[in-house]
Amino acid sequence: MVGITASSAAEISARPGRRTLTSVVIRWTFIGLSLGFLAAVLLAPLAAVFTTALGEGVAAYFRSFADADTGAAIRLTLFTAAIVVPLNTIFGICAAWAIAKFEFRGKTFLMTLIDLPFAVSPIVSGLVYVLLFGAQGWFGSWLLEHNIEVIFALPGIILATLFVTFPYVARELIPLMEQLGNDEEEAAMTLGASGLITFLRVTLPKIRWGLIYGVILCNARAMGEFGAVSVVSGHIRGLTTTMPLHIEILYNEYAFVGAFAVASLLTLLAVITLIVKSLMEWQASRASGN
Amino acid sequence: MSITLDQVTKQYQGNPVVNDVSLAVAEGEFFVLLGPSGSGKSTLLRAIAGLTAADHGRITLFGRDVTQVSAREREVGFVFQNYALFRHMTVGENIEFALRVRRVKPAERARRRKELLDLIGLPGMDDRLPTQLSGGQQQRVAVARALAHKPKVLLLDEPFGALDAKIREELRRTIRSVQRELGITTILVTHDQEEAFALGDRLGVMNLGRLLETGRPTELYTRPATRFVATFLGAANLLLRREARSGSDLAPARAEGETDSPLRDRRDQEVVAMLRPEEAELAPDRDALLTAFLGYGHVEELQFTGALERLRIRMGTEGAARSSDSRSNEGETSAMPPVWIDVTRTQPEQRAFPLALGQRVAVGTRRIHVLPTPLSSFTACAESRDSAAILMGNPWLVDLTIRMQTRLSAQVEPLVADDGADPVVAPAGVAVVTAGPDCPARVRRLLARGVTPVLCLPEDAAPPSRVIVHFAGQVARRSTLAVTASLLRHVPAEAVFLGILPSDSSERTRTAGLRQLLDVRSEAQAGHGLDVRTELRLGERIEELLRELEAQPGQMLILGLPEPGSLPESFEALLTQSPGWPVLLA
Repeated sequence: MVGITASSAAEISARPGRRTLTSVVIRWTFIGLSLGFLAAVLLAPLAAVFTTALGEGVAAYFRSFADADTGAAIRLTLFTAAIVVPLNTIFGICAAWAIAKFEFRGKTFLMTLIDLPFAVSPIVSGLVYVLLFGAQGWFGSWLLEHNIEVIFALPGIILATLFVTFPYVARELIPLMEQLGNDEEEAAMTLGASGLITFLRVTLPKIRWGLIYGVILCNARAMGEFGAVSVVSGHIRGLTTTMPLHIEILYNEYAFVGAFAVASLLTLLAVITLIVKSLMEWQASRASGN
Repeated sequence: MSITLDQVTKQYQGNPVVNDVSLAVAEGEFFVLLGPSGSGKSTLLRAIAGLTAADHGRITLFGRDVTQVSAREREVGFVFQNYALFRHMTVGENIEFALRVRRVKPAERARRRKELLDLIGLPGMDDRLPTQLSGGQQQRVAVARALAHKPKVLLLDEPFGALDAKIREELRRTIRSVQRELGITTILVTHDQEEAFALGDRLGVMNLGRLLETGRPTELYTRPATRFVATFLGAANLLLRREARSGSDLAPARAEGETDSPLRDRRDQEVVAMLRPEEAELAPDRDALLTAFLGYGHVEELQFTGALERLRIRMGTEGAARSSDSRSNEGETSAMPPVWIDVTRTQPEQRAFPLALGQRVAVGTRRIHVLPTPLSSFTACAESRDSAAILMGNPWLVDLTIRMQTRLSAQVEPLVADDGADPVVAPAGVAVVTAGPDCPARVRRLLARGVTPVLCLPEDAAPPSRVIVHFAGQVARRSTLAVTASLLRHVPAEAVFLGILPSDSSERTRTAGLRQLLDVRSEAQAGHGLDVRTELRLGERIEELLRELEAQPGQMLILGLPEPGSLPESFEALLTQSPGWPVLLA
């Protein structure tokens, strides 16, 4: 009698959709564990950034942005991003178009090349430019003769950032374009649309969410890049320090509020990136008909 | 003619996907291109639209050569299998796209949009997004979109492929009525023969990149010229019919006067006959048949499928039929292989003569259609059983017989005939011999007994990708053309008529030679629907042929004999080369 009850209970608990005590416990354990992990690793640092930044009050927080060097760092970062992001967007669209729409020799090689910045340590990417354009580098003497500064100047920072961030747009678009196929473009052509109109009216709207996300990711990385830029910038205060470099300088000088105030800007950027991503996913699921 | 294709060819990685297709579609005609997947029909359609560039040939739309014109300037409407609607635009914006690109005024656009939505039966759907529509509705919108700029030609690429049966039929009706109403020249591509019959004014059947036959649906169904069309358009039993001197052994003899040539009289004539399952009659006994007697058999399979009953009858050896799809390794004299005949019967026929599995029945034929193909079956002729087996194992030959759904058998006979009466019956159909030093002797012996065509096959012959056709005599004989046409329908290879004139020939001779070559081409096209390129060379014949054949591997030669049964000695050099190439003497 007892055996029968036990076995039927086990049978019931094994049925999908049935809420037994064990399944509830297991469920909440897993949810709790993952939430706890998330809180410890992601939310706590996030909170720490803002509490430290605002530790001496809102006034102190905003005062830290009034500092001339901090302002210069922010302006430099924005300027770099303003050049790098459009360039990499154009490059990314071209590369994704070539890879998704055409068959050609060396396609896999091109894919590998695009991934290269992911695989290479940012420090190495920076060092490469020093090696090429530094005073003792390959083109160093020529640049010196012509009075062109690359390393420890703006061009170096832009080059290093360009290199580190170029996969983002292409990587986001290639799978999307491959999945969406070429039919709509072909349809537009048979309907009499030119190449430019086809791109603007058909392709671009089709890939817009993927493109926006790629651009945002690219931008986040461009603003937040530390390693490569650190090597080529030379850390000249007010001239060649970007936001991440400036944060390090402030931190090393024990200016915690200042450091974390600038850090909070970069953190906000991350939060915006996440929001856009969720927006994009929501749009994508709506577009696919649900 | 509103759409004219002239020798359109498209290759992918060296393989012809569309192979020398020529076609003319009349104004306002609904033409259906039918073929199995991979037959090149979609590629051809895309070439007409300009979405794929043709490698060779010419495409003309309403008298305007558009071969080099881009898709956007061809002014055709194209409907894709998976709709390809602009997913971020509403139905109305989709339909207006072509007008917007042409900067048509908004009022005119709106008027045209309403007109088209009414035409396809979706009025008031302007503001929906494509994802909010069912598959059938989406395809209707795609048709409306393709018609918006009033193209003169509508091209539909498997438009019903992704739809279920009921919606498919509904949409089929819509497309047919829209096409009638607008009178627009239309080409539709499909693999579904029922769809092709229901829609097409005229059909074209494609296989292996070639356009095999075109014609009205009833013509192609009842009188196909090729094995492929016979079996692809509905079910068909292909039978080999022997016509001996004493008469036919399958059905009442054809007029015996037909076998008039003394050479032909020395062997049985073999033809390929098609019997549709519904044209077979079953009766308990030979005497009860109302139609021509074919043979006795046993019911081996019996299926009830609603309106029709499907039967498979295993024919006994007492009957005279040979199925052309069974292949035997035995010589001619051995027992005939088993033959199956598919039969369908209507309800009244079933009631009149109910059947059970295993029952013995007499099979009669109401209507038999003889295919005009000279390549009926293949017989490997060799001096020993082993060499015959090697010949029969040639992958290309095996592949060819499977494609032709015909029989490949062996016959062992000595190289040189004992003088006087030849004891061995001459093989029917195509004789296959091994190329090499002894080949000319083998060929002579077969030709002397009236056997044509003869295929000389080197042991390591690879499937040819190029077929050279050359006429040894002054004129191109009709039978050579028939053999060429029949073979090329089963070989995915490009073909060329090669004319060779002596290098010291005068300008007039050259012009005449070229004209003769072009005459042959138009005759092949008129008589067999076969389009082949032409080339004229100057030089010594054999040298030029050898040079051409040695230039690249994977070629074969079809050599037109000057008259039945005679091969000029000079041409024997072409059969003995090593490594060699397949040569078909016809």
